[in-house]
Amino acid sequence: MKSRHAEPAWMRVVVAVAVKDLRIEFRTRARSFTMAGFVVLVGVLFNYSIDQTLVRPQEIASGLTWITLILSGLIGVGRTFTIEARDGAFEGLLLTPAPRDAIYLGKVIANFLLVYAIVLLTVGVFGIFFHLDYGNHPLALLLCLAAGTLGFVALATLFGALTASTSLGESLLPILLFPLLVPMVVYGASASGRLLAGRPITEVMGQMRMLTAFAVLALGAGAALFGQIVED
Amino acid sequence: MKGRTGWIGVALALAGVAMSLVTLWLVFFRVGTDFRQGIVQRIFYLHVPAAWVAFMAFGIVALASAVYLWLGDERADMAALSAAEGGMVFTAIVLTSGPLWGKIAWGTYWTWEPRLTLTLLLGFIYVGYMMVRRATESPERGKRFAAVVGIIGAINIPLIHMSVYWFRSLHPDPVVLKPDGPTLDADMLQTLLVGLVAFTLLFTGLMILRYRVERARHALDIREAT
Repeated sequence: MKSRHAEPAWMRVVVAVAVKDLRIEFRTRARSFTMAGFVVLVGVLFNYSIDQTLVRPQEIASGLTWITLILSGLIGVGRTFTIEARDGAFEGLLLTPAPRDAIYLGKVIANFLLVYAIVLLTVGVFGIFFHLDYGNHPLALLLCLAAGTLGFVALATLFGALTASTSLGESLLPILLFPLLVPMVVYGASASGRLLAGRPITEVMGQMRMLTAFAVLALGAGAALFGQIVED
Repeated sequence: MKGRTGWIGVALALAGVAMSLVTLWLVFFRVGTDFRQGIVQRIFYLHVPAAWVAFMAFGIVALASAVYLWLGDERADMAALSAAEGGMVFTAIVLTSGPLWGKIAWGTYWTWEPRLTLTLLLGFIYVGYMMVRRATESPERGKRFAAVVGIIGAINIPLIHMSVYWFRSLHPDPVVLKPDGPTLDADMLQTLLVGLVAFTLLFTGLMILRYRVERARHALDIREAT
């Protein structure tokens, strides 16, 4: 029973927060259902927004996927902290001696799994809607989307916590987030676009590296600054 | 105007205004006309110094924000806010003078020229910085939030810069007339340098004066609270 009174090990906090968030999501299914419905319906709207006599949907599918990732991610991540604002649940979490960066990383992991699941759904649905054949390196495509999702979630979780305690709420999130997402969209859409077009993997290595650098930088900055946001 | 910083601010701002007038005189009466671009090139002497100040101001915002989060010193936050407001003004100058020049030199108000894009995004990061400050119940929290936005923005700007340049290399723009060679005529360089000094002085002076306003407001808040 020694560990009960000791300061909770950092890694255990990360896992506990991630599991807690995922359990809430699993029981309510509130975010996953709305996000899933969102991406399918966005696919439908995209289909009717493309005049197929002018442009082939396959050519712009990569860009559409990244935009859908961002918009559906906003719906999901934006709510992370508003859910917990009720009944002072998040204040309770902050009253524990849990390190702030561990709470942040736990939330990032939970949000990542949620958003990435939706990204996979998006790729599947768009694949059916727009007849994509996923190129020669489907694994690299999934990896590239994973790196992008991680960078997005790292920033969105940080700014989600920030906007949740402002009077403007989630409507402020795009203003803060979108300018910073430009590198992710530039490298991500290029890499996945080329992979979808069947180009060799060597052609996207540079973009993949930049996407990873973006994610690592976002995670580091988020972990370092999260404490400043949640402190009263 | 009590205290030394006030007079320094006034002196710098006045020197900036005087130098700006000198810059205008040089631009309109002294410097030679660019033989390829013609008269429109003269906007360059205001545009480039404004861009330099806009980015320098953001550097100050980020540094002062980091100091504020680190030491919790109110003065650092006031400096960051003053630099951000000044920076926004000069960003606005860049974003109006750039497209005006572009319309004549490139034939379009807007292209995805990387520096133009970067400045637009910088402007939006400034907007986010200002909005966050005013959107919290406790002003202290708003300052911390703004500092976080300022720091993350500064970390991200080099990445944005790299990515928009890289994107540009994918799409060479056919209408672009390459604006400036690396070699600039001596009188052009001179005018540009005068402009740079003028805008830097103007910005520094205005920032100091703005800082003093913020400090006076802070002192008033404390007096009213007690």
